Amino acid sequence: MPEAFFLDAPEGGQRFCLFHRAERAHARVLYVHPFAEEMNKSRRMAALQARAWQAAGVSVLQMDLLGSGDSSGDFGDASWSDWLDDLQLARSWLDGQGNAPLFLWGLRAGCLLASAVAQRWGDVSGQLWWQPPVSGKPLVQQWLRLKLASAMKVEGGGKLALDDIRAQLRAEQAIDIAGYRCSAALLDGLERARLLAPTRGRLGWFELSRASPPALLPVSQQTMADWAAEPAALHAEAVNGPAFWQSTEIEVAPQLLARSVDWLKRA
Amino acid sequence: MSTEQQVLQILDDVLSLGGRSASFNRSTALLGAIPELDSMAVVSLITALEEQLGIAVDDDDIDGSTFATVGSLSDYVSAKLG
Repeated sequence: MPEAFFLDAPEGGQRFCLFHRAERAHARVLYVHPFAEEMNKSRRMAALQARAWQAAGVSVLQMDLLGSGDSSGDFGDASWSDWLDDLQLARSWLDGQGNAPLFLWGLRAGCLLASAVAQRWGDVSGQLWWQPPVSGKPLVQQWLRLKLASAMKVEGGGKLALDDIRAQLRAEQAIDIAGYRCSAALLDGLERARLLAPTRGRLGWFELSRASPPALLPVSQQTMADWAAEPAALHAEAVNGPAFWQSTEIEVAPQLLARSVDWLKRA
Repeated sequence: MSTEQQVLQILDDVLSLGGRSASFNRSTALLGAIPELDSMAVVSLITALEEQLGIAVDDDDIDGSTFATVGSLSDYVSAKLG
């Protein structure tokens, strides 16, 4: 059973945390969850992974970022920099739980946040990225497309245009999409975010693929090829399994769990 | 694999149909007929089509007519594949 508690955030709010504590942990992992509905859909996989790591002697901290999950604050009040600050809060707490090597574990947009704080801190032992988007731009596009899709009618006509949506975002500095209110500050930060080649530590890049044999996305391969210098110990791998962060039914990817435990063991 | 077959495979994956797409044909209605095809699924579907088939969907094409049936969607993708 994980420990569940709230951490007090500087601005007066609280962040909900789950900590899978391993006795005599040989590593500590800080999870950086994905954006909006992807976070909900991937809860099961995150729990399974945390449990698997705990059994393997690794402690795992999962914290709900401002406005997400069970943390305080409205999603609409969150900005990208708020989330970066939250990760600092999580890290500070984790540093009080021993000094075993620290790893960042990101899923989807969480990889972009992880990448940013890893660069800021300069001392993480490694990062594990699950299905990293090479930049936040396509995620914002997909997010705005949600609004277009929900305005779609079978008989056609009366559809929204992306320009209308961007105009609304500019005018109101916020937008309602799929039940989430997003601030322009958040979407702006997300849009500008890029995966940064880690300058130290090990990198595990994992993707889910339906192909046989499983294959990394072309854009991912290109990104890795474009990195000026290969980060020390880059391991990139595609495994078979469902896109559990977006699937209609809650799904799990057992191979990803096993390969991730294995990767950290060797890291 | 034909475009239609590729589209059906992607549909099956994205909507977690568990093989149900095997009984679909060109006239099978999608938008409004399949409960799993909500706006989130539409966006996941578009993303999957883009990533796996290498096409770029214009935001203007996110329209009811494109997603009306298996046939309309396959024709749209075929046209994009040129």
